[in-house]
Parts: sequence; structure tokens; C-alpha cells
Amino acid sequence: MKFKQTFLASTIVTGLMPFGAVIAQDGGQVNVVCVVSEWCDAMKAPFEAATGYRMEYLNLRSNESLVRLRAESSNPTFDVFYGGTGDPHLVGFNEGVTEFYRPANYEELNEQFRNAIGETYLPLYANPIALVVNPQVLEDAGAPMPESWADLTNPAYRGLMGMADPNSSGTAYTVIATLVQLLGEEEAFELLAGMHQNMAEYTQSGSGSLGPVGQGELGIGVIFMASAVRDKAMGFPIEIVVPSEGTGYEIGGISLVANGPNPEGGKAFIEYALSVEGQELGNAAEQLQIKANVNATQAEGTPDLSAINVIDYDFATYGDPELQGRLIARWTNEIFPVPRR
Amino acid sequence: MTFITLRDSLTAHRGLTTPVVWALVALALWLLLPLGRPGRAFFPLNYDFHAFALPPGFYWLVPVAAVAIWLLQTTRLISMDRISDWQAALALSAAGGVIFFLFGTGTHFGWGALGTVLALLVSAGSALSSNSRIRGDTFVGASVFIALVFVTVFIVFPLLLVLRTAVWIDGTLTLSQFARTFASPLFLFLDNPFTEISEMGRVTTMIWIGAVTGAGLSVWRTGRIALSWRMIRPIVIWTLSGMAIGWALGIMIWGRGALPSSLLVACIAAPGGTALGFALALLGQRTRSKPLRGMLSVVSVLPFITPPFVIGFAIIFLLGRRGMVTYDLLGISPIDNPLYGIPGVALSQILGLAPVAYLILRGSLNGLNPALEEAARTLGASRWRVFCDITWPLVRPGIAASMLLATIESISDFGTPLVLGGDRNFLATEVFLALTGRYSQPEAAVYGTVLLAIVALVFVGSRVVLGAQGFTTVTGKPASGAFLPLPVWFEAILTAVALFWFVFILALYLTIFYGSFVQLWGINNTLTFQHYREFWQVGWPVLWYTIKLSAASAVPAMMLGGLIAYLVTRHRFLGRSYLELGSLLSFATPGTVMGLAYILAFNDGALLMTGTSAVIVLALVFRNMPVAIRASMAGLSQIDRSLEEASSTLKAGSGVTMVKVLAPLLLYPLLAGLIFAFVSAMTSVSQVIFLVGAGNNLATVLLLSWVEQGRLGRAAAMATVMIFGLLALILLLLVVSRRVDVRNSKKGMK
Repeated sequence: MKFKQTFLASTIVTGLMPFGAVIAQDGGQVNVVCVVSEWCDAMKAPFEAATGYRMEYLNLRSNESLVRLRAESSNPTFDVFYGGTGDPHLVGFNEGVTEFYRPANYEELNEQFRNAIGETYLPLYANPIALVVNPQVLEDAGAPMPESWADLTNPAYRGLMGMADPNSSGTAYTVIATLVQLLGEEEAFELLAGMHQNMAEYTQSGSGSLGPVGQGELGIGVIFMASAVRDKAMGFPIEIVVPSEGTGYEIGGISLVANGPNPEGGKAFIEYALSVEGQELGNAAEQLQIKANVNATQAEGTPDLSAINVIDYDFATYGDPELQGRLIARWTNEIFPVPRR
Repeated sequence: MTFITLRDSLTAHRGLTTPVVWALVALALWLLLPLGRPGRAFFPLNYDFHAFALPPGFYWLVPVAAVAIWLLQTTRLISMDRISDWQAALALSAAGGVIFFLFGTGTHFGWGALGTVLALLVSAGSALSSNSRIRGDTFVGASVFIALVFVTVFIVFPLLLVLRTAVWIDGTLTLSQFARTFASPLFLFLDNPFTEISEMGRVTTMIWIGAVTGAGLSVWRTGRIALSWRMIRPIVIWTLSGMAIGWALGIMIWGRGALPSSLLVACIAAPGGTALGFALALLGQRTRSKPLRGMLSVVSVLPFITPPFVIGFAIIFLLGRRGMVTYDLLGISPIDNPLYGIPGVALSQILGLAPVAYLILRGSLNGLNPALEEAARTLGASRWRVFCDITWPLVRPGIAASMLLATIESISDFGTPLVLGGDRNFLATEVFLALTGRYSQPEAAVYGTVLLAIVALVFVGSRVVLGAQGFTTVTGKPASGAFLPLPVWFEAILTAVALFWFVFILALYLTIFYGSFVQLWGINNTLTFQHYREFWQVGWPVLWYTIKLSAASAVPAMMLGGLIAYLVTRHRFLGRSYLELGSLLSFATPGTVMGLAYILAFNDGALLMTGTSAVIVLALVFRNMPVAIRASMAGLSQIDRSLEEASSTLKAGSGVTMVKVLAPLLLYPLLAGLIFAFVSAMTSVSQVIFLVGAGNNLATVLLLSWVEQGRLGRAAAMATVMIFGLLALILLLLVVSRRVDVRNSKKGMK
């Protein structure tokens, strides 16, 4: 009787032992943590056909990806960190979570991008900061179209502007760093204080103001340009304005995860992603960033770096965590708490 | 037949008692299966990792332990009849040592190690069951052990790792991260130099007002002042609580940052949701209108089955700056729209919490005995008197339970502030943003610790205020009589509230359905099936996978939940409150913190599982287990113990009693627990967002990434499919429950 009783207990226990399919790690599979998910959708079939590897990917935001890679660093599940703004790639490299891999066609990659970031991660694309504007909203409020950073302090935009919070978003930090490089720190913070008076709110996510501008909730958002170009093509009533003083940009990256389960597959993936073919696959997926491979055809509507006034963004200086921490803290203490009139 | 004779001959022999049999099972598993595994994969079995193939190590403790148990039993050094405390402690530390060393080897546990550990646990549990601190039979002993170990490994241990991350930075024990976070304006910002007023001064004033009020109240309560410790102690306690409340109110009104925002929203949403839920429950129980009752029971399940984020967007489309109601209908200027921030989050949470409160309060209202109210009325009390003196005191525990639950849910809510929070910070999102925006694990851990502390404080506070009083008015005998109907004017008001709520909810869901069929939600209203086509291609495989994993997690959640509920309600043993605490922790811990904890705990060592479906399933099992525990507890509390006594008098052990007597009676609660565990697995996001992997994605996480890419139509399409699918499932449950009820009541008639 007693034996039967514990037998019962153990059947309940074995019922408790959940085990499911486990990802295969047979060397034929490449695991990608992917920030630009639509690009990855488009990559999957052609990459598998071209190399014989299977590709599995997970879509995460860029900062989240770094958190995942870092948390798993003693036992990584991913081989490649694909896409997303440069900072997490840089931090990942500095912490040894990712490592630099030099692809065969390294020389084909845009020299300006390569020099800007050095041998830390690989440039995949560039993406300038711009203003996304809903002209109808501005017209309703009787406000003019903005043309420059300085215009953004115009009281006519009160309650109509949106931008990300630099405490949670790399986009917003890029904006601050751009302004500091353009105007010097003091003037930049004066400008930010003026913009603050017009903010409806600071969003958590970098592109958080794009949706509201498209829907007419806000009039002006400060974001990376490519997604705005795509949304405009999708039919949202928005316009894109590059500030006349000039603007900063991000260099989206691709990195090999250190000690990943399938390093050979990871390298093959990077080679493919940076090839002309891989880069052009982004075009079909409405990824309108400026592709890093100079031989790749840029998609229609892609911003032309030579046509817009892009500053010589100093990635090494402004990517330094110490300076970054100081600028964000200054913003948090001097700009954020000021009550809006 | 042969099995029974075999078993009889086995157990007839004095040496082969239950613990010995299980020790032999452990030995067999150790011999037959590979102890470890090479990487994350549990299959195929790899005999390169068999104990004999591995370099000599602590693995050899297992056969030693098994043989030791057998020897001790046969030589009767340990008698099964009564085990003293020191013998139990010795055996426990031996078993614990074996397991500890197995974990310590760093080998990734394969089937051999897992099976061996479990068998040793059953062996030890059944051996120690006769000890006075467990006081049960072998089934209870083994189950207690296994439940304790599961709760420790999958709830307490990961959370301890989070706490360690908060205080153990760069190899030293330090509180510096706490100091830095508490000083940060993101956490609490009081002394704003840019405002005219001094927030700090006002909060100090509030603290003094609180102190005076607290002291005054305490004196007023006792009615006299005397200088003795017995008199002073309550005064001190009341004064201090008054100061704390004054401080909390002060920072909520004048402070900014995550702490005041989260507290303020909880202080609005929990009472608001409970009040609305109470109104609906009262109406649902006593209204004369049948359609109203049906409507309430259907609409009240909607929030449970709705994937997160979607409702936030529906609210924006209705009440946002260009919302259909606020802008098009009411003409509120976009600049003056107050939705984003505290109002929006509180509103959305009230909508989500009201049904939770409704279900709890419906239960406690149904637990009332109508005869009490009838008696009071017969004795000439007015309706208002009856409500104040009879109904209200009896539902007060229910109200308190619902307030407690609502407060905890509000504070740990993750999805709503992300969509509607505007530029206010919230504690639960700050965990996520500290990690993803500032890359700081220690800071995230500090926010997680603060959240846990607040939840613990609320829990303890509710215990202190409420005490452990019970108000059962339903006895085994069927209650007769009907509830008093509500006064007509009161029912009219409640109906109006309910209808308004119903229309609003309906509008929100219609917005979602509509959004899934139009080209570009809010901009281009051409009807299209494009989003459903895209969903079918990209989303359906992920959704189907999510369904499979959720089902795989719901069954163990229900079984473990049922087992723990049974142990906790029916037995007294050492570690009982630890089990309760564990299940409370797994429910009250904000999902983001749990997700972080799982990554920290299962990325290496014996239970290496990150990136596999196993870790997702386990996270969901232990997250949703409390739901099953509560469902089973509610069912168990209605079953008279005399049934079990009868069963055990007839010499059935408690395991047999549980399966043959209790389980059939608990069929409906268990089924409900199963379905709710499945549903909440389907819609949970915060605890799995860190655990999904390549080829292992879940529907809610995919939904979030679509929302972030602005693919709202596709997200709405998937949400619509999920809502209808889960609604159908719940309606099925309601139908089944009705049939079960009918069957039970027929039995009762005999």
C-alpha cells in the first residue's frame, strides 16, 4: 500500500517534468538575435539556400539584445547580433560579449562608417536623425513647418512635440550628442531646455513618437529617419525634415557573438549579410537605412548622406560610457524636472 | 496479478520498505541513464556522460546513499514507526548533501541525475513522513519534500540570485547601488529646484500631520491616557504609521519618479477596480434581469483573455489626443488631453482589475447565507441596516482580498505603463528600462527588490488590519431562501454603471476588431484582409507554438497547484508557510524580475536550460501555479473533511484519498485552474520576454515587436484571433461547469 502511495506521488512528479523540443545545436543552425526583424524575414530563405545553414532568429530591441547576450555570456545561445544602433554593439565588444570579425569584403564597406567605429563591430547601415512632422497637425495649431533645430523652441509647438527619454533610449542620447557636437554643450542644453517646454511627453522607446505623429496625436517627433521613410511610404500623412544646421546619425551594426554555439555558421551569416546580395535584401523588406556595402543598390527613398547635412559624428568620444552617463545625468537633473508653462 | 504478488512479496519483507524501494529506484536510474548531458539538449541520451564515463567525483555519493538507506533500514537502525528529530535532521542533511554536491559538480543534469535526485527525494520524504513534524503518511511526506524542493529551485533560488545581484557588485558586498538608485530622480524626485514651492517642506508637513493624527486617533480609540508601556506602545505604533502614511501621501502629491507614480496609480486603481467590481458583483447576484447577468459573466472574463498592449492602443484610439471620443466627439484639444500618465494608466488598470474584483467578490457574496438577511429583515431592520450590519461585515474579507490582489497587480503591471505612461516612470517598467536602457543589472535588481518589498508590506499590512478572521456562513447543508432584491433606485444606478462599463469595453474591443480589417488603423479606412493573410504567414506558426507550450505548462501548473493546495489546507507540517510564501512570491513578483531571475539561475550549471522551450514552460508553470492553487483551495474549502476521514478509516492512504475522493469532487475547480493557467500562459509577456529564444518565440512577444514596428493592423489581427479563441475556450468551461453543477445538485437531492 505504501509503495503504491509513493508511486502515485512520483507519477504526479513525472507529470511535472515538462520537457519540450530543445533547439537543435547540430552545427547546421545559425541563431541570430535580430533587431531589424523584417530584414531577417527576408534574409532567411536566401541565406539558407546560399549556404546550406538553417537560420533561426529572435526579434528583440537593440538594447534588449545586449542584455540577453550579456546574461547568457557564460553559455551563449546566439551566434550573431544583427542590426540595431551602434552603442550596444560597442558596449558588447568592450565587455567581450561580442568579438570583432573581419569579413572578406571588409574593404567594400563604406570607409566613413568603418573609420568612425574602428575595429569594434561591423557597420551594417547608417541612419540619420531627423524630424518627422505631421503637417496637418501643425496647420490645425497654426504653427509653421520646422526647418532647423532652433525652430523647435518656437512656443507655437507647445504640447505638440515628442522625443524619447535618454534614460531609456539610445535614440534620445544620439540626439543630445548631436546637439552637443553641433552647438557646444552649453548652447545645446539651452536648446534642449527650450524644446522641453514644447514636449507633450518623452517616450520610453526611441521611435515612440513616430506612431503618434503618424496618427496625428503629435505634430513633431525626433527620431531615426529610416522608419519614418517607411511609414510615409505606407501611407501615413507625414513629412521628414532634416534640420538645416546638420544632423547626427547612427551606424547600425552586426557582431559575432563571442563563444557562440556555431561560430563558423555565424561568420558565414555575417559574410552573407554584408554581401551585396544580403544588403539588397533589406531593400525589398522596406529597410530604408543607408546600406554599408558601397556596391549595393540603395532602395528608392533611402536618405542620401551626401545630400543631407550630416555632421562628422565622433563615435569614439560620445560612445564613452562616462561622458554618456554625465550628459544623460545633466539632462535628467537640469531639463527633465523643469515644469512646463 | 503478478505485479500485485510481486509487490506483496516485496513489501512483506521488512527490509523492503518504501524508502528502500525508492533508494533502489534511484540506484537503478543512476546505473541505467547517463548522468549528465553535453549541452542544452536533453535528447538524445549521450552515454559519454554516464557516471562511469565521467571523471570520478561526487556522483559516487548516490550509490553510497542508496546502499546506506538500504542498510539502515534492514538493520533497523532507523525504525519506520517513529523517527526522532535528530534522526530526521541527520537523514535530511545526508540527502541534502548528496543533492548539493551533485549540483556543485557543475555537470549539466541529464535524465540520470534528474531521476536520481527525484527518487532520492521521494525516498527521504517517505522515510521521514512518520516524523512528528510532517505527520503524514508516505504520500504526504514525499509530496511535501518534492513541493518544497520545486518551490526552492524554481522560485526562491532565482529570486535570491536577483537580490544577490543588487548587493553583490564587482565581487564586494555593497549597498552603493541602493544608495545610487534611491538618490536618482528617476526613483523619487522631491526637491525640484525649478518649482516655486518646496516639495520637501510640504512632505515634512504631511509627515507631522500624519504623526499628530495617528497619535490622536490612538488616544481617541482607547479613550484615556496613562503612562504605562501597554498604553504607549499603540500610541507609538499609530504615530509611526501616521507618519508613514503622511509621507506616502506627500510624495504621491508632490513627488515625481517611479515610486510615487506606482503608489499613486495603485491607490487609485485598486480601490477603483474593487468598487466597480463590487458594484458589478452585487448587481450580478441580485438583479432580476437575466440578460444582464449573462452579459456580466461573459464580459468579466475579457481582460483575462486579452493579450497585453492591445487594450492600451484601443484606449488611445478612443480617448487619445485625436481619439474618437475625446477629439471627434467631445472636441477636447489635443494639448489639453490628460490621458497619458497617471490618468490613462489608472483608467486602463481599473478596467482590467474590475473583473478580477468581480470574480473574487462574486465568490464571497455567493458565500453569504440568505437566511441571515431574511432574518434581519423579519426582525424589522431597514434594508440599509441589513447591508451595514450583515452584508458588509461578511463581504469585508472579500473586499480586502480583492484590494490586496488589485494593489499587487497594479504595482507589478508592465504592459499598461509602457503604452500609456507618458513620461511618468513606473517601478515595474523601470526594472525593464534599467536593464534594456541603461544596461544595469544591479539597478534592475534594486528596482525589483523595492517592488518585492512593497508587495510584502502590502501583504503584511493587510494581515495586520484584517487579522486571520474567518466568516463562513455556508454550512454543508444547502442554504435555502433567495437573496433580497436591491432597492429599485439602487439597482437602476448599478445597472447604469454596468451598462456604461459594458458599452465602453465593447467599444474598445470593436476598435481592435475594426483595426484588424482596415488598411491603416486611423488613417486609411479601406477594408482589407491583408493583415489576416500576413498574420497567417508570419504569426500563426508562432501562435500555434505558443498554444502548445501554454498547454504543456498548464497541466503541470494545475497538478502542482492542486497538490500544494491539498497539502497546505489539509496537513500541518514543517515548511507549510514556506510553501505558501513561495507560491505568493511567484505570483507577486513582477514578471520582468522573474524573467531576469530565470536567466541568472538557469544559464549555467546543473539546470542549464536558457534558450530552450523547457525554461519557458517552467517559468509559465511556476508563474501560473498560484492560480491553480487558489482555484483548488476554494474547491477544497467546500469539501467536508469527514469524507476524507471516512476514506482513511477504510485504510486508504492520503494519496488514494486525494485521487479517488477529492479529485472527482474537485473536477470543476481543477478544470477551471487548468484553463486559467492556460489562458494566462497565453497572454503573459513580462516573464517570458527575456526567455524566448531563436525559433522559440511566443505570440505576445511577437505582438510587442509588431506594435513597436507600427504594424498595428497585423497586431490587431493576431489579438482578434487570440481573443476569440480563448473566449470560446472559456465559454466552453462555463457550459461544462453548468453541467457539473447540475450533476452535483442531482446527487445532493438523493
